[in-house]
Amino acid sequence: SPYGSLLSSLLFSLLLVFSRNSFIASKPDPSKPNMLRVGLAFGSTAVLWALLFKQHRTDVHEYKTRNGLE
Amino acid sequence: MGLLPDEAKVLPPPGIVNRNSVWFGLCGWATAMLHNSLNRRPALKAGVHRQALFTTVGWFIGYHLTKYENYKYATLDRDMNEYMRLHPEQFPEKEPKTFAEIVEPFHPIR
Repeated sequence: SPYGSLLSSLLFSLLLVFSRNSFIASKPDPSKPNMLRVGLAFGSTAVLWALLFKQHRTDVHEYKTRNGLE
Repeated sequence: MGLLPDEAKVLPPPGIVNRNSVWFGLCGWATAMLHNSLNRRPALKAGVHRQALFTTVGWFIGYHLTKYENYKYATLDRDMNEYMRLHPEQFPEKEPKTFAEIVEPFHPIR
């Protein structure tokens, strides 16, 4: 059937992603970084700093309004 | 805020650079460097994305922890002052004494 090979290739790729058997395992290679992970790390860093500054700004504004300073 | 009630917003917010943020940020950075060392990578030059992320997470947690700490101390102060206001007899105003009146006479034994 035409979908049989698709299913088997999907299962094989799942096996590649979710297993660590010695037939396909390899040492992590520092000269080939996982750019997706690096990008996600830097992206979440930027998001966290943005959230922090936004929260701080809101806090300062709330403090000033509640104490009648602005 | 999840941990803080609405009344906490009356308090002045901590600065972006605050004691807990710096400490937790440094702890995060040290964790990333330790992770590098334990995986036999150069501590400072490897995994800069990881160092940045861990430092940022620490800094973020530190900021909210400082806010929580400020609120807790403010509630304690408020309760203490309220107690002092309701029981003034337990807190009499004392006249300040000079050291000359408090200190015992000095008899040198040489």
